[in-house]
Amino acid sequence: MRIVIAEDSVLLLDGLTRLLQAEGHAVTGHRTAEEMVAALTAPGAALPDLLVTDVRMPPSHTDEGLRAAVHLRSLHPDLPVLVLSQYVEQRYAAELFARGTRGLGYVLKDRVADVDEFLDAVERVEGGGTVLDPDVVSQVLARSRHDLADLTPREREVLALMAEGRSNAAIADRLVVGPAAVEKHVTNILSKLGLPPDADAHRRVLVVLRWLDLNGDLR
Amino acid sequence: MTTTEPVGHRVAPALTTHPGFFRAPFAAATYRGVAQLAVGWTWALTAGLLVVIAVVTAAAMVPVLGLGLVLLPATLALARAYGDVERARLAAQTGVVVPAPARRRPAQRRWTARLWAASTDPVGWRATAYAAVVLVLTSVYLAFVVALAAGAVGGVVLAVRFLLDGGTGDASTAGALLLLLGALAVVAAPWFAAFCAQAGTLTTLRLARALLGPSAAAEARAAQAVAESEARVAESAAAAAARRADVLTETRAAALEAADTERRRIERDLHDGAQQRLVALGVTLGTARRAAERDPAAAVAALEHAHGEVKETLAELRDLVRGIHPAVLSDRGLDAALSALAARSPVLVRVETSGLEAAGTTAQAAAYFVVAEALTNVAKHAGASRAHVRADVVVPEASDDPAVAGPTLRVEVTDDGRGGAGTAPGGGLAGLRGRVAALDGTFDLTSPADAGTRLTVELPCAS
Repeated sequence: MRIVIAEDSVLLLDGLTRLLQAEGHAVTGHRTAEEMVAALTAPGAALPDLLVTDVRMPPSHTDEGLRAAVHLRSLHPDLPVLVLSQYVEQRYAAELFARGTRGLGYVLKDRVADVDEFLDAVERVEGGGTVLDPDVVSQVLARSRHDLADLTPREREVLALMAEGRSNAAIADRLVVGPAAVEKHVTNILSKLGLPPDADAHRRVLVVLRWLDLNGDLR
Repeated sequence: MTTTEPVGHRVAPALTTHPGFFRAPFAAATYRGVAQLAVGWTWALTAGLLVVIAVVTAAAMVPVLGLGLVLLPATLALARAYGDVERARLAAQTGVVVPAPARRRPAQRRWTARLWAASTDPVGWRATAYAAVVLVLTSVYLAFVVALAAGAVGGVVLAVRFLLDGGTGDASTAGALLLLLGALAVVAAPWFAAFCAQAGTLTTLRLARALLGPSAAAEARAAQAVAESEARVAESAAAAAARRADVLTETRAAALEAADTERRRIERDLHDGAQQRLVALGVTLGTARRAAERDPAAAVAALEHAHGEVKETLAELRDLVRGIHPAVLSDRGLDAALSALAARSPVLVRVETSGLEAAGTTAQAAAYFVVAEALTNVAKHAGASRAHVRADVVVPEASDDPAVAGPTLRVEVTDDGRGGAGTAPGGGLAGLRGRVAALDGTFDLTSPADAGTRLTVELPCAS
């Protein structure tokens, strides 16, 4: 696939480029968010299959990358974007997910070092899936105004993986259980929380995140 | 005389204390009083009278002839001198010091004003009055003393003669009563004589204090002057304290800001440096692992790349740690730390130090960072071929001024570069200036264009 990366650290940009090229992708790198937006909004510019961007970049070193991602998503709602953040910032995630969760990812930068996980996230986001960092999910769960006491520990584990945007098969893989067991957990969770049963993982993560009030900070 | 007992107790115990009353004829104060009255009377009768006559004559001549105007200042000066001698005499004979009157005020410019001042000299006029009054006073008291003493002695002589004659004369009751009264008078006379001697001395001293000492107006003026100067001192102390408070408020804010800037710099360095490097290292290692099976050569290349990154990360961390606090400074002191800085500088740096052991650790650390920043700037911006670092502990000469308190650590960094350096807000030098100010140090940057840069910092060693 064709991937555009915006990352101000030369070393990391270099490392990611080589990793993705070794996987057979075509990679274009940019050192600033401005440069990336300029390249993608130029007349006749072809959109990539995936955009990977750092949050904190020059010149102000605050959230240039995130703002660029939100801007590009408003122009091209179907453009898959994977945002890399130096630290967990629930507000950033909420801002990013405010207009939908399809083909959107928000993960901690450090996760990139776990190459398999990172490549998995790249595949999922490019395929229209949602990827939310486990740290963000655990924060959302911890701050949720809903009572999760009705859920068993195992069900809470499954809920967290659902919120991260994982499919039933991936959850089964992660928990080393059969797909049938996962399906049973998911059905139980959705009925306990009073949410409509929905087989589609894409729709499901949206429902779960809405219910967990990820966007609460924006209201 | 430095006696602290009241004047009355000293010169007139008979009139102020009970034991003094009974011991009056035998008290030393009585005999000192008699001597004082005798000398004082003699002095008043000669010099005093002369002064009075001279002053009065001169004053009387003023309206008659202009001559008086010339004589009056001279005679008043004489009266002044008489007063000085009289005060000295009283001090010597009674042990009581009458304070001297105010000195003559500085001469005015115009001669008429000078003449007027000399002719109305209150000290001279009061001394003249004293001379006149004390003559009368001592005459009266001395007459009483002599008469009573003579009466007592005469009475005794008469009594002895009466007894030797065998009591001749009419031995009537009236005669016996008279004899009894006479005897009582003989016994009482020494006491009255003593009282007179002591009272005369006390009165003389009070008179001297009133007329030969400073006048009430002069004393009030002096007291006011003292109060005013004390008020000025207190005012300037308060102003100095207020200025100090302002300085402390300002330097405290600067120190907090400098510390905050420093923390942000360290966070930025860690985030942009070590953290990014480690993430990149993880990516490279992950790439190597994935490549291991299908492309061993690519895996080895990635591993070599990763190895290089590890070494670079370590070097960067070492620099960062040194920037927070250099180990050589704590282990070997400022001298060695400055040498290490000089050795790392790409510019040729000469280091001279002396007496640095006397400086405290905080002062040494501040001095180190001043030199480090200065040498970084020299290497980055100055385009200099050589630099010179001097660090000395300067001990000020002994002084009563609390502002020049203790020894200071003086650091000077000079270079032969293009100059034009400044302390832009948020820059490294500005942060150091705040750090130096917080230690009550001074910071001086001289950097004219094309004439090199000289940075001088002085820090109290105790800091």
